[in-house]
Amino acid sequence: MARLTKSAQQPVPASFWPLAALTVLAIGLSIYRLVVGLGPTTNLSDHYPWGIWITVDMFLIPVAGAAFTISLISYFFSRERYHSVLRAAVIAGLIGYGIVGVLLFLDIGRWPQFYNILIPSYVNLHSFLEEVSLSITLYTVILILEAAPIFLERWGKSARWIQKGIYIISGIGILISAIHQSSLGSMFLIMSYKLHPLWWTPALPVLFFLQAGYAGLGMTAIAVSLVWRAMKLPIDRELFRRLGQAMAINLLLYGAVRLGDWMGAGEVPLLFKPDGFGIIAWVELTLGLFIPLAILLSKLVRHSAGPFWAGVFALMGMFINRMVISWVGLSEPGLTAYIPSWIEIAIMVGLFAGGFLLYGVIVRYFKLFPEASEAHS
Amino acid sequence: MSEPITRRDFLKAAGLAIGCLLATPKTVHALSDKEADPNEYIGMLYDATICVGCNACTNACRQWNKTTPEPDAREVYDAPKELSADTWTLIQLYKENEEFSFVKRQCMHCVDPACVSGCPVQALQKGPNGAVTYDAKRCIGCRYCMYTCPFHVPRFEWDQAQMPVVAKCTLCNDRLTQGIGGPACAERCPTGALVWGKRGDLIADAEGRIQAEPGRYVDHIYGKEDIGGTGVMYLSAVPFENLGLEDMGTDPAPKLSEDTANVLVPTVLVGGAIGLAAVRFASSRGAWEETWPV
Repeated sequence: MARLTKSAQQPVPASFWPLAALTVLAIGLSIYRLVVGLGPTTNLSDHYPWGIWITVDMFLIPVAGAAFTISLISYFFSRERYHSVLRAAVIAGLIGYGIVGVLLFLDIGRWPQFYNILIPSYVNLHSFLEEVSLSITLYTVILILEAAPIFLERWGKSARWIQKGIYIISGIGILISAIHQSSLGSMFLIMSYKLHPLWWTPALPVLFFLQAGYAGLGMTAIAVSLVWRAMKLPIDRELFRRLGQAMAINLLLYGAVRLGDWMGAGEVPLLFKPDGFGIIAWVELTLGLFIPLAILLSKLVRHSAGPFWAGVFALMGMFINRMVISWVGLSEPGLTAYIPSWIEIAIMVGLFAGGFLLYGVIVRYFKLFPEASEAHS
Repeated sequence: MSEPITRRDFLKAAGLAIGCLLATPKTVHALSDKEADPNEYIGMLYDATICVGCNACTNACRQWNKTTPEPDAREVYDAPKELSADTWTLIQLYKENEEFSFVKRQCMHCVDPACVSGCPVQALQKGPNGAVTYDAKRCIGCRYCMYTCPFHVPRFEWDQAQMPVVAKCTLCNDRLTQGIGGPACAERCPTGALVWGKRGDLIADAEGRIQAEPGRYVDHIYGKEDIGGTGVMYLSAVPFENLGLEDMGTDPAPKLSEDTANVLVPTVLVGGAIGLAAVRFASSRGAWEETWPV
């Protein structure tokens, strides 16, 4: 039986209670939503069939891709330095996909037969939505397997069979990830008639893939620095510098594809059209591309705060991007705008709170970082 | 601690994984029979220059499909403003200065429908007679069809607490398959603005009308080739964009998406598997598994 990690002996932090309250509220509202339906609880309509919950799904999937990015680097490029954050990334990924799963379940109108997506005679392999659904399911299983040793060792059970098969497990996980991060973008290929041209491009799968790369790296930088600071562990500056560099490469590629597409399609003038969409695009680019690149390409990258803030800004930009693609850019002209209902927002916030809470509990009681246990042994 | 994995073990396993991926059974069901002759599909032809906007079609649809009327504020007339879960077809008015025209809305029953291509569970299907039908038993209520449809047709029962359905025109598939007759709306139309029949015959009919009175019509049959062809086709005196029928090209709506699915996904899977194996093989630096994680 492993001993408690160092952090488990500290008192319960004050942030526990508000997070717990938000989580409980979200659970209550979720049950209410399942009982009374989508009409009374959301502001979705025939003109806006998808809303903020889909945005959150589309935002969290690349963020939770941290697990994918880090396992690719550590298992297949054998960069030992990243191993220290692998477990943290896998747990973050698992919680992220968990939130996505719950939100999707709440979002689908006919939830009692959600399992239809897994019935072979129903499956439509032409549908990118089906591909994404299957991938999320399968990747969650992979993440559970990757995370299992963390729990098994705590309870003194052997995880040898997982350790032996880790290349196969993580390899399949990486392939599924690569497929569905891009498929998430491919879902919108079929909406060329609807999605605003500044966001619609045949390169959507490529753009979504690159976003998953920098969002995963950014999220890793954020999560690691938050946890290490909270636990007063020494910061590994070299790790942060490398995370920052990898993020910069992804951002540069993303910017190049985006700009190239606009120039190729002659859509650059749309950026300067005073219809709101041009402005949204500039805000998105500034937050999500220019600021993070400015940080990462300057000397700031050498401080752990550099990649941290680059990650924060890149994620903000990506949230706007996913919001436009999931509903803002799909609006029919001349119709009243969709603004999420308070219940939609409360459920979303509560699920995030629950995710943080769960992460805190796991950091506290399980061995996510090598130093946390070595300090004790 | 795990035993170091030898290259031999790894290659064996990698080969197995790639084999499994390549052997993925080809269980893609025929969604819409792409070999079928679209001219044999049942369709409708709506001539906006004949329609007087009497709404008999809307009413016929309500009676046959038992949908609930949506009255205006004074509750005198059935006056739906747009398609809804309860209104599967309606007549809308386009008016600009002196010029005006009616336009009928309903599912277009595309030859190669985006909704059918996008539906994750094949709840939407293209029947052998051309009707695009919906099966609630399969539907999970994801509403992707509402976004994939280029014509904004499928609607959702938002106020239904449990098991809401996606609702839209069925081309009266039940009437067609039971031999009762054609779509209720087309059979009721008193002016002949709306007729039904085999798509090929309707196209010939429409071409004949344009030829007989070239000044009367815009020289285009909307839906003959638009977006890969539609089952419901239109003739008009005013530009089709004014009636909300946009020029979306002649490629079938799901073409790019399906081409991407057929090429990108297998390429990434197979290429990725080979790439991962190669990278792993090349960068093996001994048993780093002895170090910390998993």
